[in-house]
Amino acid sequence: MRPGLRPVILFHHLEMANTSNRLYPARVEMSEITMILQAVGRGERKASEELLPLVYEELRKLAAAKLARESAAHTLQPTALVHEAWVRLVEDGSRTWENRAHFFGAAAEAMRRILVDKARRRARMKHGGGYERVDLEHVDIAAALPDEKILLLDEALEKLKLEDPDAARIVVLKFFGGLTNEEIVQMLGSSDRTVRRQWSYAKAWLYDCITAGH
Amino acid sequence: MKTTAALQDIFANALDIADASERQAMLDRACADQPQLRQRVDQLLAAHEKSEDFISDCISVVAGSVGEMAPASEPGEDLIGSRIGPYKLLQKIGEGGGGAVFMAEQESPVRRRVALKILKLGMDTKNVVARFEAERQALALMDHPNIARVLDAGATKSGRPFFVMELVSGVRITEFCDADRLDTKQRLELFTKVCHAIQHAHQKGIIHRDIKPSNILVTPVDGEATPKVIDFGIAKALEEKLTDKTLFTLHGQFIGTPAYMSPEQAQLSSMDVDTRSDIYSLGVLLYELLTGKTPFDQGELLAAGLEEMRRKLREQEPPRPSTKIDTLGEAELTATAQRRHMEVPRLRSELRGDLDWVVMKALEKDRRRRYETADALAQDVQNYLANEPVSARPPSRAYLAQKFVRRNKTVFFACLLTFLALAASTVMSSWMYLREREARRMAVAAEQKQLTLQHETLQLESLAEEREKFMSAEEMYENGRRDDADALLEQVKQFQPGSDHATLYRELGDWHAVNGRWSQALERFAVLFQINNNGQKDTSLDDERCGALLVDQGRLNDYEQFRRDLVARNTGADNVQSAQRLIHYCLLVPADKAWLQNLDEAAALLRNSLQDEAGISRGNWENSAFALALLAYRSGHFAEAADWSSQALARSEGSQPREANIRILRAMSSFQNGDKEGAISELDACRKVVDDHPATPNDPAHLRQTDWYLWLTTKIHLREAENLIKK
Repeated sequence: MRPGLRPVILFHHLEMANTSNRLYPARVEMSEITMILQAVGRGERKASEELLPLVYEELRKLAAAKLARESAAHTLQPTALVHEAWVRLVEDGSRTWENRAHFFGAAAEAMRRILVDKARRRARMKHGGGYERVDLEHVDIAAALPDEKILLLDEALEKLKLEDPDAARIVVLKFFGGLTNEEIVQMLGSSDRTVRRQWSYAKAWLYDCITAGH
Repeated sequence: MKTTAALQDIFANALDIADASERQAMLDRACADQPQLRQRVDQLLAAHEKSEDFISDCISVVAGSVGEMAPASEPGEDLIGSRIGPYKLLQKIGEGGGGAVFMAEQESPVRRRVALKILKLGMDTKNVVARFEAERQALALMDHPNIARVLDAGATKSGRPFFVMELVSGVRITEFCDADRLDTKQRLELFTKVCHAIQHAHQKGIIHRDIKPSNILVTPVDGEATPKVIDFGIAKALEEKLTDKTLFTLHGQFIGTPAYMSPEQAQLSSMDVDTRSDIYSLGVLLYELLTGKTPFDQGELLAAGLEEMRRKLREQEPPRPSTKIDTLGEAELTATAQRRHMEVPRLRSELRGDLDWVVMKALEKDRRRRYETADALAQDVQNYLANEPVSARPPSRAYLAQKFVRRNKTVFFACLLTFLALAASTVMSSWMYLREREARRMAVAAEQKQLTLQHETLQLESLAEEREKFMSAEEMYENGRRDDADALLEQVKQFQPGSDHATLYRELGDWHAVNGRWSQALERFAVLFQINNNGQKDTSLDDERCGALLVDQGRLNDYEQFRRDLVARNTGADNVQSAQRLIHYCLLVPADKAWLQNLDEAAALLRNSLQDEAGISRGNWENSAFALALLAYRSGHFAEAADWSSQALARSEGSQPREANIRILRAMSSFQNGDKEGAISELDACRKVVDDHPATPNDPAHLRQTDWYLWLTTKIHLREAENLIKK
């Protein structure tokens, strides 16, 4: 076990002095994402693990900030959010295609986690609170609630990842990152044909997996 | 997986076929004799038809739920009021990396307020959890009144780890000192306590790595102002060494406090950061307590950009405290003095001298020159307060005398009077001299002790530093700063580069060569040659670079050594290409008969390989024949040389420098054989080719990085030929 360590950013004990609680990242933290992206680009393994929680945090903050300003929640799209985060958090000079790929990859994954966690919590509460696993076996797909749909999808996605990680990655990018085919093609350096084929395959596979037990 | 790829292909192809019967036919063909495969494909095709609705459903669900990311769903808020074991969460007081910190009320076995740090939801990557655990363990090891204590640890029902600490309600040390207008002496007292706390951590094998005012809160304990060190979140246990290049603590430092980062923390690898890095940070703290400013302005550092920041921290000497305050504006200076309960002139005189030296010693760029331990720093501060000599300054006679006087003012003056009264000076002055000599002896002994302690680590450290220099050079090169990279590489002497470092040397060498800086190029390739000697077992193009440069630069003694080394490296090699190169690179210059025998083995290999005409590529024929021709020429067998050259030419592949080499050799052989006219005209033709070609070593501007050495060998051969003809 190697502790790749990072400090608590703000003071974690009660302080008499005033600390300005920034809801949105200041210039300082922008540099951090860029640096981690560069580290990822250099192939430093641990850097990519580090990227995810950071992006996760930023996305939530950004969402919160937007909601505070725009009262209509339905205008908040995952695509828009991730794109906005990209522009805000990574400086002009560092918006390379490579960095973009890493960032969006992490952002999509982070988005997935956020939504799945939320769905899980709500599903649990619906089933009476407590911390047991939600029983998805007896869910009727057609009548499934949105939360349950996300959970089913997530479970199937994990299985797909084991069998075909490339296809799974495209699913995450499309679903949770809201990326278009062209964007995915450019990001992964793949071809349009390949992406389309993998996406079709993935869709069929997932549906088949989800309906298999029912 | 192969099966998946095949499956995917068939599936996708099937989808492309609109007509049902055609599709069936295709599938029959593709999945013949593989019923399982066929079944799976059919299954998926069926699923695909039905999946569209479901999938688009999911997409809109996802799109809609982004609104759920609102602050109300912050895991922190979820927990307020909830209970974790005997702890009831009251209020969130901070957050960072992967954890959030709450003020909580402990209900049993005692009732008190505590600080509870828990891993945030969604943060359960292995890395983050490991880091969290490491922090907890680090804290649990320590037991000191000036370090926040760990009281408890555990995990929630859902498996989220947390730990409980002593709740410190306090004020940042710098703010406390300012608010209460503590004078220098009081600040120093407080500071020594912090030093002792850090010393404790070091003795437990923990380096804090993030010492700064916000991590040291002052709180009243039994009426006394007590500093408490908190947040060992990036502390690292000494035994665990990070061997990868990790940037995490580097990130951490950049986030808030580059001003407090030690020069070695500003380097690329955090491999060699040790307790003395904390001492540097303590120095910065002391600096700030005394002057109100940090040695380097934080805003400036952040604005400067990553590389500049690093450079400043590692190279630029900060101003001494007494000098620093002079840079403040008048108003600020007065305010600063006021916050220390004194007037400006007094502040100036207090800082000047010993305190300056103590601070600067802690801030030394070279960590071997800093205080060895936090206690040593604390000791010197105490020395200052007691008017004892501080170790931070070399003890000169006058200095020690001065201290002695101050320490014993009354006694001194009494003695002085007696002395005057006695008017027998010798007794008095020799007594003073003895005391001073004693003090000096002790100081020297202390220094010796330090030296012996450091002696063992000296080698390792300088080696590590050189390794680090090398990595910096790599980084610079990647950023296009070739001159800087090269200059840095110059300084690397002790370090033994290995094959992973070869690339940088080669690239810089090529760069020098292409710009006509031949001797610098040679230096790089000399190192490369050594690397190859230590590593591989045959020849490579690197050797051509090195050999050609040596000859071109006239370093013939070195060239002798070069070819001896090259032969040694190649004993037992059985590779045709290596043999070709070996012979060519060793014979750029004549050699005596005895030495030529070293190449017999290689030559035999080449001759054998040429027996099988059909099995060899033209290129290999060309090169092998040329090598044999060259060897023959050097051996004085000119007819044979001419013959081999012709054969080589017949199978030439068209590379201009190589072809030129062969023709030059043939010309020389003809000349030696007596056909002078033919030789001269052939040589003229060659010269023309070389001159016409834009990219030759005569005009470095056009050299391609991959070609220059090929043309350099041609130049060498041409020169030899021309000298021969002239005679």
